[in-house]
Amino acid sequence: MIELKNIVVKFDDFEALHNINVDVKEGEFFTFLGPSGCGKTTTLRTITGFIEPVSGTVNVNDEDITHVPIEKRNIGIVFQSYALFPTMTVYDNIAFGLKVKKLKKNEIDAKVREIARKVDLSDEQLKKAVSQLSGGQQQRVAIARALVTGPAIICMDEPLSNLDAKLRVQLRNELKKMQKDFGITTIYVTHDQEEALTLSDRIAVFNKGYIEQVGTPNEIYNHSATEFVCNFIGDINRIEDTVAEKMGLLSDKNHFVRLERLRVNRPAEADETQVEGTIENREYYGLYIKYYIRTGDQTLKVIEKNDGINIYEPGEKVTVGIHKADVMSYPKQ
Amino acid sequence: MKNRTPAWLKPDMIWKVFGTAFFVYLFFGFMLLPCLNTLSQIFTTRNAAGQIDPFAVLRFFFAGNMPRFLWNSLKLALALVVTVNVVGVSIVLLTEYFEIKGAKILRMGYMTTLIYSGVALVTGYLFLYDSDGILTTWLMELFPGMNKYWFTGFNAVLFTMTFACTSNHMLFLRNAIRGIDYNTVEAARNMGAKPFKVLLKVVFPTLIPTMFSLTVMTFITGLCAMSAPTLLGYDSINPEIVRLAGSSVADEAFPQARAALLSIILAMFTIILLTVLSSYERKGHYLSVSKTKAKLVKQKITNPVANVLAHIYAYVLFIIYMTPVVMIVLFAFQNYPAIRSKTLSMNEFTLINFFGAKDYEFLTNRGKLRIREGSISGLFANADTVGGIRLSFVLSALAAGLACVIVVVAVNYIFKNKDKKRSTVLEYSLLFPWLLPTILICYSYRTYFNSESVWYVFNQNLYLRDNVRFLIVMAYTVVKLPFALRMIKAAFYAIDEELEDAARNLGASGFWTFCKVKLPIILPSVLAVFALNFNALFTEYDMSATFHSSYGKSYAMVIQNMCAEEGRDGYNVNASGRRCASTVFIMIVSGVILYLVYGVGARDLGERLEAKERRRRRMQKLTAPFRKVKTEVTSVQRSAP
Repeated sequence: MIELKNIVVKFDDFEALHNINVDVKEGEFFTFLGPSGCGKTTTLRTITGFIEPVSGTVNVNDEDITHVPIEKRNIGIVFQSYALFPTMTVYDNIAFGLKVKKLKKNEIDAKVREIARKVDLSDEQLKKAVSQLSGGQQQRVAIARALVTGPAIICMDEPLSNLDAKLRVQLRNELKKMQKDFGITTIYVTHDQEEALTLSDRIAVFNKGYIEQVGTPNEIYNHSATEFVCNFIGDINRIEDTVAEKMGLLSDKNHFVRLERLRVNRPAEADETQVEGTIENREYYGLYIKYYIRTGDQTLKVIEKNDGINIYEPGEKVTVGIHKADVMSYPKQ
Repeated sequence: MKNRTPAWLKPDMIWKVFGTAFFVYLFFGFMLLPCLNTLSQIFTTRNAAGQIDPFAVLRFFFAGNMPRFLWNSLKLALALVVTVNVVGVSIVLLTEYFEIKGAKILRMGYMTTLIYSGVALVTGYLFLYDSDGILTTWLMELFPGMNKYWFTGFNAVLFTMTFACTSNHMLFLRNAIRGIDYNTVEAARNMGAKPFKVLLKVVFPTLIPTMFSLTVMTFITGLCAMSAPTLLGYDSINPEIVRLAGSSVADEAFPQARAALLSIILAMFTIILLTVLSSYERKGHYLSVSKTKAKLVKQKITNPVANVLAHIYAYVLFIIYMTPVVMIVLFAFQNYPAIRSKTLSMNEFTLINFFGAKDYEFLTNRGKLRIREGSISGLFANADTVGGIRLSFVLSALAAGLACVIVVVAVNYIFKNKDKKRSTVLEYSLLFPWLLPTILICYSYRTYFNSESVWYVFNQNLYLRDNVRFLIVMAYTVVKLPFALRMIKAAFYAIDEELEDAARNLGASGFWTFCKVKLPIILPSVLAVFALNFNALFTEYDMSATFHSSYGKSYAMVIQNMCAEEGRDGYNVNASGRRCASTVFIMIVSGVILYLVYGVGARDLGERLEAKERRRRRMQKLTAPFRKVKTEVTSVQRSAP
């Protein structure tokens, strides 16, 4: 569907993207994930045509669109700020692209109302100014506006970043449902790992203008290809040399283990190394409890399900079990 | 098929060439060359022997009385800085910071200068304090020995301008004080600071940047004062420039070169002050670091004596601000005998100063009864006044519109080419008139275009006959460009760049995006700039006085003339009444414009739709009884056999 081949983007002397290669399948929800300034938005803007690469090609359905003007690419965009035209009503915002295409008035009306119905916007809301809508409703208008012209692809640039945490979770689910309903290929940009993991079919993790890994959420989380991905996705413990030695891990590598893989005060299992420690601190989250356990040279972070029975107090002596299979190791740099 | 149109014939390129040519023409033709000509006049003066003597004017400057005008202007500017700041800061603190009873009414009084300024304000003060003014007449009755010409010269100008120039304090300093985070005041109080110390150490420092800008602007206003010195008789630079501009070599030594020298001196002062201001602004301001700002709570003056004194001070200022306004409004509805005797009477109530005309009957020295037809005429019936209003209306509207169009096109270009040198050049060229005093631009126009040798205006003498109107429009436009640029540029900053991207993504061309997306966003600001410029130009005096000719008699000049023309042989016997009516008319026009700009224009689409909905509901509520009756009638008719 969308294929980026050896894309290089430069801003004056600064190379923002180094040889980017991505292949997005039809109907896929594909996410560009990474910290600020890593090149994810630049890649998206290269696909949409706002940025022209120095070298490389952008192909859609095997057709090279690298030099095709923005408006002729048939790609819808949902912007970070939604970019809804403040001087127009919701109806006029959605109809904008159709008016530019000089469609007949009744045709525009039919299309606007149809898409509005699909994204759950009422006739009453269509008459309102965009400033009169809530954040969630504004997002639906932005999606409707991007979809009404019938694009083959939709690109979303951190569309949830301006919302509060609760609304973000709610809209995340709506977004996923809408994408499945429309069946449209979606490229999504975010720096929020949780958003990426919950929404995406596949994720490309960016760092300093390179793609570190492309994979499913499970591959990215549980089988991180690089130390950067492993550290960037979720919380993690770096295993210090003394514990690594005890576990028989190679000393020329850095070793990491996820918080939820550690087991506190459980009977030892096969292939499991147990270390003794003292509860240093405890954070209560309701559903789970996070412990900071001092074990020799380091403090391990552990997440334990809150069963209401096994709750440890600071200062209490405990054992922490680590399975060798749960450890992710990367060469020392 | 391939597009074979050559690149230089494409619409984009044609627009670029046309636009560049226009701005080059505007900058060189109507900004740089006329002013350079003025500068050159100083050094190309011919002495008595007819030889060019570059230093003749300078020698004359030091030998003659020219330094007096300069010193008078400087003295006025310096004094104004003190008095305007004292009054300006006082009125802002009294209405916004301290708890003073009746603050809302006081604020309205202090804000009257927003709708009542310039020549209208000066004539208003004259109406009160002049030799036959209301207050002077009353004072003369109380103290028959007093000098009836007391309201003249430096003190009168200083007094008038002090109260005329506090508008900026009421706009900007008020905003600054309202922006103070109240938590900082509470924190200081919590740490034991007394209220006065809080004011001095916490509140004032945050106001310093605004006060500095206001001080510089006040100094420049004082230096370039025109209407007050002219009408109240004070020898300062601007009136002298206008006088010299109208003088000839036959009357005095090189008047044009002297006028040019004075203009250039003013320009130098302005440039130095604005440089100081902008370098100060570049240093940055005190920025609030508060994440959650608390709204300022008014401070009670706990000391009872200080509280009483503050109230007295507030209301004395209120009386000074309001008396001319109230008197002008009241006397605008009195007939000419009442105005002459300065006595208010309900029996003398009339609308004749506004509408209609009457004949004037009078006895001659020989005891004959004469009638002067139509000698008593209203504002909208007097040919001279209506002519002035019409001319000012058209010229101001044209200039305000032209300034907006030029600036919108320019700023759109500047934003599209943000990091390019040519956009910086364009921006600075539009800001160029800001560096020059208005009088220099007007004087330069008057002398430079008063010939048939300027090729780029088709060798037309633009100061001759009707042409002067074009010259006035150009001067108005050029003078208003910097203000329009600053305001409209700020509006462009408010456009989210993603909106443009979104429009492009949806297939809109640059022109379509500008018309349908950007223009509607900046339109309220553009209209506000248009309205404010129009408002300022409509009663503008300085430029009108410089271009004064029978073909360019603006409204301000008509108002000024009304001060002198009253009662001569029975002509225009109600000129004073018409002057009052003119001021009322100006206040109404300014008030409506300010309401449209800050009231209606500031609403966004959502607020407008909400207001529309509220209106619809109110209408429904109002017509509900009628609709009920109608429904009942219909049902009765239906049920009838």
